[in-house]
Amino acid sequence: MSTLQAEHVYKVFGRRPGDAAAAVRALRSGAGRDELRADGTTAAVIDASFRVEPGEIFVVMGLSGSGKSTLLRMLNGLLEPTEGRILFDGQDLTSLSRRELRHVRSTKISMVFQHFALFPHRSVLENAAYGLEVQGVAREERLRRAAEALELCGLAGWEASWPDELSGGMQQRVGLARALATDADLLLMDESFSALDPLIRRDMQDQLLELQQRLKKTIVFITHDLNEAMRLGDGIAVMRDGRIVQQGTAEDILTRPADDYVASFIQDVDRSRVLTADAVMTDPVAGSCACGCPSVTADTPIADLCAVSARVPHAVAVTDEAGVVVGSVPQDRLVAFIGDEDRAPVRCAEVAA
Amino acid sequence: MPRLHLGAWVDSGVDFLQRHLSWLFDAISALVTGLYDGIHAVLDAPAPLLFAGILAVAAWWLRGLLAALLAFAGFALVDSVDLWADAMSTLSLVLVATLVTLVIAVPLGIWASRSDRVSAVLRPVLDFMQTMPAMVYLIPGIIFFGVGVVPGIIATIIFALPPGVRMTELGIRQVDAELVEAADAFGTTPRDTLVRVQLPLALPTIMAGINQVIMLGLSMVVIAGMVGGGGLGGAVYRAIGNVDIGLGFEAGISIVILAMYLDRMTGALGRQVSPLGRRTLAKARAAASGAAKLWNHRPQPAYAVTGAVVLALVAGGLNAFGGSGQPAAAGADAVGKGRKISIGYIPWDEGIASTYLWKELLERRGFQVEAKQLELGALFTGLAGGQVDFQTDAWLPVTQAQYWEKYGNKLDDLGSWYGPTSIELTVPSYMKDVTSLADLKGKGDRFKGRIIGIEPSAGAMGILKGKLLKEYGLDGEYQVVDGSTPGMLAELKRAYEKQEPVAVVLWSPHWAYASYDLKKLQDPKGAWGKGDGIHTLARKGFAQDEPEVASWLRSFKLTEAQLTGLEAKIQEAGKGKEQQAVRSWLREHPEVAKAA
Repeated sequence: MSTLQAEHVYKVFGRRPGDAAAAVRALRSGAGRDELRADGTTAAVIDASFRVEPGEIFVVMGLSGSGKSTLLRMLNGLLEPTEGRILFDGQDLTSLSRRELRHVRSTKISMVFQHFALFPHRSVLENAAYGLEVQGVAREERLRRAAEALELCGLAGWEASWPDELSGGMQQRVGLARALATDADLLLMDESFSALDPLIRRDMQDQLLELQQRLKKTIVFITHDLNEAMRLGDGIAVMRDGRIVQQGTAEDILTRPADDYVASFIQDVDRSRVLTADAVMTDPVAGSCACGCPSVTADTPIADLCAVSARVPHAVAVTDEAGVVVGSVPQDRLVAFIGDEDRAPVRCAEVAA
Repeated sequence: MPRLHLGAWVDSGVDFLQRHLSWLFDAISALVTGLYDGIHAVLDAPAPLLFAGILAVAAWWLRGLLAALLAFAGFALVDSVDLWADAMSTLSLVLVATLVTLVIAVPLGIWASRSDRVSAVLRPVLDFMQTMPAMVYLIPGIIFFGVGVVPGIIATIIFALPPGVRMTELGIRQVDAELVEAADAFGTTPRDTLVRVQLPLALPTIMAGINQVIMLGLSMVVIAGMVGGGGLGGAVYRAIGNVDIGLGFEAGISIVILAMYLDRMTGALGRQVSPLGRRTLAKARAAASGAAKLWNHRPQPAYAVTGAVVLALVAGGLNAFGGSGQPAAAGADAVGKGRKISIGYIPWDEGIASTYLWKELLERRGFQVEAKQLELGALFTGLAGGQVDFQTDAWLPVTQAQYWEKYGNKLDDLGSWYGPTSIELTVPSYMKDVTSLADLKGKGDRFKGRIIGIEPSAGAMGILKGKLLKEYGLDGEYQVVDGSTPGMLAELKRAYEKQEPVAVVLWSPHWAYASYDLKKLQDPKGAWGKGDGIHTLARKGFAQDEPEVASWLRSFKLTEAQLTGLEAKIQEAGKGKEQQAVRSWLREHPEVAKAA
């Protein structure tokens, strides 16, 4: 399996060829993005480094203009980094010739687009077979494999249709099938679900997770929607103004936002669905294990934990897979966590009396 | 402002090119002529109605039954007004021009779509090509390529190129950038991206460009008629020259029929070749019902091809049988043995008369004679370039002196067959108080300040404007109206019938002096110069190629009575019957046939 790695990647757009390199030097010595803009150069990505393990979904989250799409396009060589290296499968993509790069793109990396980018002059089946056609796979074989990919994405029976006859969600399934048909290890998804209705978007997210269970691809997913990032991402990178400001798991970001920007971002996230018992539990309370009351595991979402806690008269036990108690969650702690309250409980005169 | 000699520079540039690149122009000319001849041979071979049938089947396949019926009716109309051959020449001309234009325009458009720099350089060049009045291209066109179809085709190509390039560029550029990126992301090579994604999606726009190219080409053919391009354009030009409304309308409507057919068919073809268009069509057909279904019925391609092939075979077969019955060249005098001779003429009465006289005489002796009506300047360049063998209407040494100066060294003078001539300003006899050119002074109001002229290229017009008006102090008071000989004669007739004052440029001999009561204005200062002889001019080398014809031409003479009689006869017979008039005149004057 192949690991994807970005090492100190910069991308600067300049009017003259020399501008970009000079801009990178300036950025390294601490210049800001705005100073560069005055010179007519645009720093889209500044010093981005990350590592995506095989089989992982890595989400890059940021608002428009944060440089996330530029970053994604450097991962398959559609854009060449101004500085830094992109390593995939042990190969430095920045050192490849155009022809070698095209070969890598056609066999190892595929891409799913925001607005689907289906070819309107090809049927659904021919669209799904496009990558294989570029690879030079024989017609019969590529149509068979394309049909398989379509079936995998729940589009069996739609092969002869045309893209414009399909709903948005179905079109994006074709886009996904087209990307999967080539058997590429790395899947780049550029805001792939952003153009869809909320309900369809949720369906697609579920389907992606389900497919990922089976296929174990390495996926880099771009989004501006933090909820989506939390739902899909094994690892998340938050970008702002070209820089990655925080990297970590969904829980890391929710519980320990690196700065005010990230903190303001996570306000709208439904924490009870993203965070798990793991984030709120304390050391096991003696005796909370043997009573036979319902218990939870460390990856139970807080929302479900609340449901359990409502019925259990004492702290809820958190067990591991073997049933060994690894922690407990007292109800007051749970309520404090959801309310984001870290002060000590007040004393009430009447209760004390 | 200092006078920039822009025109002179261009002039000397053209001279330079002509001297040093003539091999290139000859090669281009040979290529274009070859293409034209090939296509023309194919189009002109079948019998008109059969070919109309083939075109109708094509229309049936592309657009449906109604279109087929209309196409057939249209082409039958063209045939019935006797313009079929002209229409086929025009069609060949347009097809050749379109073909060459596309071969140049589409790659240029692709190049421009891929490079902003190329696009930026190309844009002003295309603007220049498109907005420069197309007739201007004909001038160097004639010099480089001689009269005939080639300059017309070249001018058409230059004129029609810009929309082809622009629409190709536009079509490719407006393909969704995300689609191109998608192709790129799957590792498609730039060439495959072009072929698999950009061109198919740009096809409707490119086809619209091709449609434009064809339409512009058709609009150019009329202009090409001025330089001997022949076809419907030639017919239109002939009609203009003779103020022949009937012929003009017939030729015009034929062009319209051709234009509509080509426009609708290329439009339909555009939908047919583009995958998206094909789908839309299929949907529309599925939705149609009743009568619409019948009118829009389209045969399967296989049936359409079969139909066209069968018609083509029948056409070929008929032609083969028809070909064996060619009339044998007549008599013992048949020294021509079918050799081709081309005579050029300007639509002046003595030119038409002598040209058709010689056409008849030479055809009796077994030559194949083509009489081309040309503009005066084009006639001289054509002669000098060898595309025309001889002309019989050169007024020398005075009137056309400027042309002789320029081209004389490339021409042979076969002598004068009539003389002396005179050129004069003429007024009707009822203008009692005007007898001399000097009398015109101060009477500008009565003549509305106008002297009705003839073709601006005529030598008489040069003398009149450049010298005569000044010498008699008429400058400023009178304006010489450029026009044509038929136009001048029509104006003379109109004014004469209403007894209005009118002054026209006229010459002797002319049948008008016999038909109207006219008065030649005296020229006491001798500004018109001495009288001319009407000379026969041949291209250099013609006398060696056809010594008999040259000797006949050298010994040719007509008296004033003979010439005016012939002119009057032709005038009586009407347009299009010149040769019949010559024949009946020759029956009355056998001595001319014998002498020559």
